[in-house]
Parts: sequence; C-alpha cells; structure tokens
Amino acid sequence: MTETDPQVAKSPEVALAVRNLNFYYGENHALHDISIDFPARRVTAMIGPSGCGKSTLLRVFNRMYDLYPGQRATGEVIFDGRNVLERDLDLNILRARVGMVFQKPTPFPMSIYDNIAFGVRLHEKLNKAEMDARVQDVLTRVALWNEVRDRLNAPASGLSGGQQQRLCIARSIATRPEVLLLDEPTSALDPISTARIEELLDELKEEFTIAIVTHNMQQAARCADQVAFFYMGRLIEVDSADRMFTNPKQQQTQDYITGRFG
Amino acid sequence: MADRSHIVKSYEQELGQLRSMMAQMGGIVENQVALALSAIADRNEEAADAAARQDPEVDQLEREVEGLAIRLLALRSPMAGDLREIVAALKITGDLERIGDYASSIARRSLRIRMPENQISLSGLRSMGRLVQENLRRSIDAITQQDSNRAMEVWHSDRAVDEYYTALFRELVTYMMEDARNIRACTELLFIAKNLERIGDHATNIAERVFYAVTGDNLPSLRPRGAPASALTVAETMQEPDVR
Repeated sequence: MTETDPQVAKSPEVALAVRNLNFYYGENHALHDISIDFPARRVTAMIGPSGCGKSTLLRVFNRMYDLYPGQRATGEVIFDGRNVLERDLDLNILRARVGMVFQKPTPFPMSIYDNIAFGVRLHEKLNKAEMDARVQDVLTRVALWNEVRDRLNAPASGLSGGQQQRLCIARSIATRPEVLLLDEPTSALDPISTARIEELLDELKEEFTIAIVTHNMQQAARCADQVAFFYMGRLIEVDSADRMFTNPKQQQTQDYITGRFG
Repeated sequence: MADRSHIVKSYEQELGQLRSMMAQMGGIVENQVALALSAIADRNEEAADAAARQDPEVDQLEREVEGLAIRLLALRSPMAGDLREIVAALKITGDLERIGDYASSIARRSLRIRMPENQISLSGLRSMGRLVQENLRRSIDAITQQDSNRAMEVWHSDRAVDEYYTALFRELVTYMMEDARNIRACTELLFIAKNLERIGDHATNIAERVFYAVTGDNLPSLRPRGAPASALTVAETMQEPDVR
C-alpha cells in the first residue's frame, strides 16, 4: 500500500530503518506493522491527524516509552547496526545519540549555560574551557549566541518562547547526537520564531538526521525532504515532499493534505 | 471520507466560484469564436461587431479569476489536487483571454475582406473553423467537467488543425499566384487561418493544463503535429515559418 520514492530510497545511507514495527499502549494497538527508512542527513516529516501514531513512532526511536509500564514495541528499529528495541541497550547512550525536542519548550530550571552543560557532563568529561567552547558552539549554531552571550548565567526561564525552543535544540545537539527528533517543535511559537527554527533545520540537516512531527502542512512541505503520512496507526504513504504535496498517490493522503478529511 | 468536500465550507465555495468563473469565461470565448466564424462564412457584420464587443468582458473575467486564484493561494495554502487546479486556472484564464483576442481579430479582419466573387472558396477555412471550434468546445468541457479524457482528445486532434492550416496556406498561396487581385483578400484570409491555428494551439494548451490538474501527470512535451506549411513545394519561396 505504501510507495517509496526511488530518489529517497537510493540515498546512500539509512540512519534509521524501521521494520515491521508494532506498538501497544496496553491493549491499544497504536502502530501497525510500520516499515520505513529515515535517510541520513535528511529531514523526514511525519504528518497525519491526531492519534495517527506519528508521535508514538518518534517516542520509539529513543525508547521514551520505556518510562511507562504497559507500553511495548515489537519489530525492529535498526540504528547503527543495532535494534533499538533490544532489552539490554544502554538507554542513556541511545538518548545521547538520538536527541529529542518537544512541542513546548522545556528548559531546565537552571541557567542558560547549565541547560547545555548539564547533558554534556553526563556523557563527557570536559574542562572549563572545553565546556565554554561547546556551549558557545551550539548556541551559535542555533543562532542564539548573540542574543544570550551577555547573560549566560541568567535563568533560562527568562528567555522568550522561541529562544527557549532554540535553547532546547542547542541542548539536544550539545551531546552530539546523530538523530534529532522534533515533536511539533514550532506549534507554540510565533511566525518569526517558527521561521528561525525552520532556518535552523536547514542548517542542522547537514549534520543530523532529522525526524519531525508536524501538524503544519506547509512546514512539512518547506522543511522536509521526505514526508510520511500516517492514519490510524498505519503508514499510508511515504514519498518526497515535492510529490507528496503536489501529487500524492493515495486518496487518503490527498484528502488529508487538502483538508477534506471527513 | 466518502464526502469529498472541504471541511472549511468557504474554501469549497471559493473553489466553486473559481470553477464557475472559468466556465463563464469559456462560454463567452466559445461564443466569440462562433461569432467570428459566422462573420467570415456568412459575411455577417453584426456577428463581427458582437465578437469584438465581448473582449472587455473577457478581460475583466481574466482579472477576476487571477484575483480569486491569488487569494486562494495566499489564504488557503492549497495542496495536491486543489493546488494543481488553481494554478491551472491561472494559466488557462490566460489562454482563454488570448483565444478571445484572436476571435476579435478574425472578426475585424472579416469586415475588411472584399472578396473577388466566386474565385476563392472558403470551404477549407470553414472546415478548419469547425474543427477548431470543436476542439475549443471539448477543452472547455474538459475544464468544467475536470475530464482528462476529453483533454486527451483535444491534444490528439491538434494535429488535424495544423494539417488544415498547412493545406489552407497552400490553397491561398495558389490563389494569389493565379491572380494578383486576390492578394489583398487572401492575405487577410491567411491571417485569419493563422489566428484559427493559434486558437487551436491555445485550446491544446488548455487541454494539457486540465490533464495536469486532474491527473497530476504531464502530457508528453512533444505534441502530435502536422507537417509545417514551409515544407510545401508551392510555398517553398514563401518561407512561412513553422506553425509553432
């Protein structure tokens, strides 16, 4: 039923390969037999109505669901040669390599500097100069450095929503992950902040594999290389963004993206 | 999902409005072409005037279609089939406007022709006119019914229009070579034939755009076409440029 874009499929590297993934919230079968590739250093957008399973899929990639009893996954998510679902996987390492940013900015209740240093300290032993350099580097990359360089020790809660979200992205790339998961990262932001994040995605995809869940179709069209449409826990169609938004193959996709979903 | 209408009713209404404006514009232009052909064939001056008089209305509709299409693009951020339909409408409206202009031009020329009686047969021009009219009618049906098969038919029969044009070209040149007094009338008729050929071409453009809007696929970039007029022996020295 699904169609794979040959261009995307031909892409040399696959960062995440999902094979026959099923996911259950207790009795509720939330994802049905999902198979999809996430090409390395590309942006893959996941779209679909609320409850379609797109955020669930994101939560599988860094085993977020492990925090909740009764939630389980079967199948395979191959990342760097290993199945992410394996029981004995080191979750701390996984989560450092697969960063996540949420819908609402979630700065820690600490200074701007420490928000970034906190995660890095868990995984790396850096001296003061190295840590300073790392903080400056990631803040520069999310285009926040010039706005906060004079108040690195001020609480992160004093930043605007858009700045907080960029700080959270800076925080998640500070541990040098390979994959960045973004769950509706701009839905709580104004248009200018949204544009900044989208600009940021363009830069970050040079280095990271990005999976973004969004309800904003134009955002998916603008930012993504590949788009996957989910409906009721099933992957309906995956194709290049260009084709997905001008000429989708499945009627359900067409109905959803044009706003005809009854 | 059985209901194919938009969740936002005003969006659906605006798309409906766009379609009805296209249909209206198509109807007027079709009528203009019919009047222009009647102006030549029946030497009907009233029809010639009537064809030219409709130009401002077509221009006005073109602006309105553009306005609405731009509004839809800006406010609705259309996707997929809707996007294709709206962009196609933007371009089709330009084709229709050009067809209207050519029809007016034919009508005006028809008034200028002082035909040397019984020497020049208009039957070739009439046949070409009928075919162009038929193609135009089908392409406008294709718009209003969003019918890709119709569009395909038009696309295939453009070749016949080109062939008519080529034959007419040869015929008119022959008349001119026979008797220099024919030159004035035949030159006007040549322009008329050229205008008809252009109308046929725009009808084919419309068909291609409808086909894309409906199916999401493009027709091949090379159209089936007839031999260019310049390939003809009688016209060798006339160097009529290729039809396109």
